[in-house]
Amino acid sequence: MIGKGPWREMPKASSFAEREFQVCIAARLVEDGKAYWVAGGGGPMYSVLLAKRLYTPDVVYVAEDGVVGAEPILPFDPVMTLAAARPSYRALMWTNMNAIGDQSAVGYLDYGVLNALQIDPYGNINSTWLGAYPSEGRRVNGPGGADTIAAVCRRLVLMTDHQRRKFAPKVDFISSPGYLDGTPGARRRAGLAADAGPYAVVTNWAVFDFEPASHHLRLRAIAPFVTLDQVLAEMGFKPRLPESLDAIEVLDPPTEEELHIFRTEMDAQGQFTDAAPRWVTREKDRWVMVEKEGRSGGTPAFI
Amino acid sequence: MAAKSLQILEEGHGEYLRVDPDGFRASVGRKDRRMRPKLVSVAEAISKFVADGDYLVWETNYLQRGPAALLREVMRQQKQRLWVCGKFTWVAVALLTEAGCCDRADMGFFVGGPAVTRAVLEKRLTIYEYSNLVLTARLRAGAMGASFIPVRSLGGTDGFKYSGAKLIEDPFTGEPTVVVPALNPDVALIHVHQADEYGNARAFGTNISDVEAALASRKVIISAEEIIGTEEFRHNPGLTKIPYYVVDAVVHRPFGSYPGECPGRYASDTAHVVEVFGAVSLDRIKNYLDKWVFGVKSEEQMLAERVGPARLLELERRATVIAEGYRP
Repeated sequence: MIGKGPWREMPKASSFAEREFQVCIAARLVEDGKAYWVAGGGGPMYSVLLAKRLYTPDVVYVAEDGVVGAEPILPFDPVMTLAAARPSYRALMWTNMNAIGDQSAVGYLDYGVLNALQIDPYGNINSTWLGAYPSEGRRVNGPGGADTIAAVCRRLVLMTDHQRRKFAPKVDFISSPGYLDGTPGARRRAGLAADAGPYAVVTNWAVFDFEPASHHLRLRAIAPFVTLDQVLAEMGFKPRLPESLDAIEVLDPPTEEELHIFRTEMDAQGQFTDAAPRWVTREKDRWVMVEKEGRSGGTPAFI
Repeated sequence: MAAKSLQILEEGHGEYLRVDPDGFRASVGRKDRRMRPKLVSVAEAISKFVADGDYLVWETNYLQRGPAALLREVMRQQKQRLWVCGKFTWVAVALLTEAGCCDRADMGFFVGGPAVTRAVLEKRLTIYEYSNLVLTARLRAGAMGASFIPVRSLGGTDGFKYSGAKLIEDPFTGEPTVVVPALNPDVALIHVHQADEYGNARAFGTNISDVEAALASRKVIISAEEIIGTEEFRHNPGLTKIPYYVVDAVVHRPFGSYPGECPGRYASDTAHVVEVFGAVSLDRIKNYLDKWVFGVKSEEQMLAERVGPARLLELERRATVIAEGYRP
């Protein structure tokens, strides 16, 4: 599903953060000539910006505060990745949230890209509460605009860290809809558009899609620095697998160009990468994972 | 003969602000349509137009063009039992909660953290679950004089169950359709670039649903970076976002969005933004409020003593990089 692209022939990096890898993979999934609704900042926005810069110049994206087709000034200030002047720079249009909502509702917005705190086998997303709502546990941010992005963008790409607690058999709270219980017509019965829904999940270790008949998460590709067993062990449920395991694609590492642009223009101060500072380095014929404190130090952990 | 009742397939059981379009029209009927000067101070605006128990709406506070000065004054005056609209808010709900000002919130997006969790678990704060766009749709319905509006999201989520939404059989297509109640807040707090003393207001750049919120709210407080003459509005009427007769109070408040940005005028104070985010995430809101809200008597004192003229000048300089589109 990642398919072939210019990155195939480009010089590959031999040392990168897992999060950088994730952004590069998500960038390679971006489809040219389509309209994207990108949530907030972080991975979703970086992946679309990186793709637009390198692979898909005819992509246009909107932000929920009413920005259409910006040419943002990079890098962004901390926190100021949405509803701020730098990300809104040189837009084609400034409007408001209801206008973006209208564009999405009538179907102009082809793809949504979101970060997900917790997802289930049918691509339902929790960003509201961890634990037993609302009597036990912890309040998190709420869906923001994600509920609408997930409801109406034709194809939804989700980004999350590859951790067992992120892939739950049942999310603690459905904040934004995936395929709900996965049964045919579930979205329509709930009043949602039937021609929209989760399309892919990109983690720092793997890429998934959704099996058409069952709407269940399905593994499609893994990073070159992990094994299939590792990928499955760090999930709270088992994804569907292709009939032949050989059909699981091994993803290309980031290219030097992708990383250069990401590091100098986007994550210039390392804030994004340092939030989950696990790095991967090529040593002779194998990949080594290194837990870093910020951009230096740490203890190597061999895989 | 087929039943004539509207088919309700499912409904959320979240409390919602009473839907009363006729009552809202009556309150609009009592507003003065004359062009009368409405300039007041931050303190007077909040004291006169925000009452305990009111429903408050604002947006993007501490991010972009938020009514930061007005919200700090709400906390300083210790308003009680507010019900707040969390459409694209950021840290404000956590601050208001820890300051003891609000006990109900309709949620779209906000930074959660320990203080909000504690307030929810101790039942000092009840949250009703929507999303940014669903809340702006509710405001749009409120601004239309309607009692509800269909939306193409919220269905199928757990938020639906804790909201005032209903899933109905659409009387036109027969398809399941989510409808949400109109929202007519008591007070809208809106910060703009320019206003005249009567309340005609201009804001540049994007917004979430400021204009809908102004039209949908019973009382509207505008704070403005700059007070300009009415003649300027007449020279370029297309720039007017909110007409004067919607507005109850006008406050001249330079740096009224601080520490957020007011694009074209000043950039966000990055250090402050990081400080407040840390305070919300790490349960140190009380320290933050003591320093920035309760520890100063006024916005003027906060800007002069806590921020300082050199810093303000630097924020203004940083904003000159991007002025295009944010000036008349």
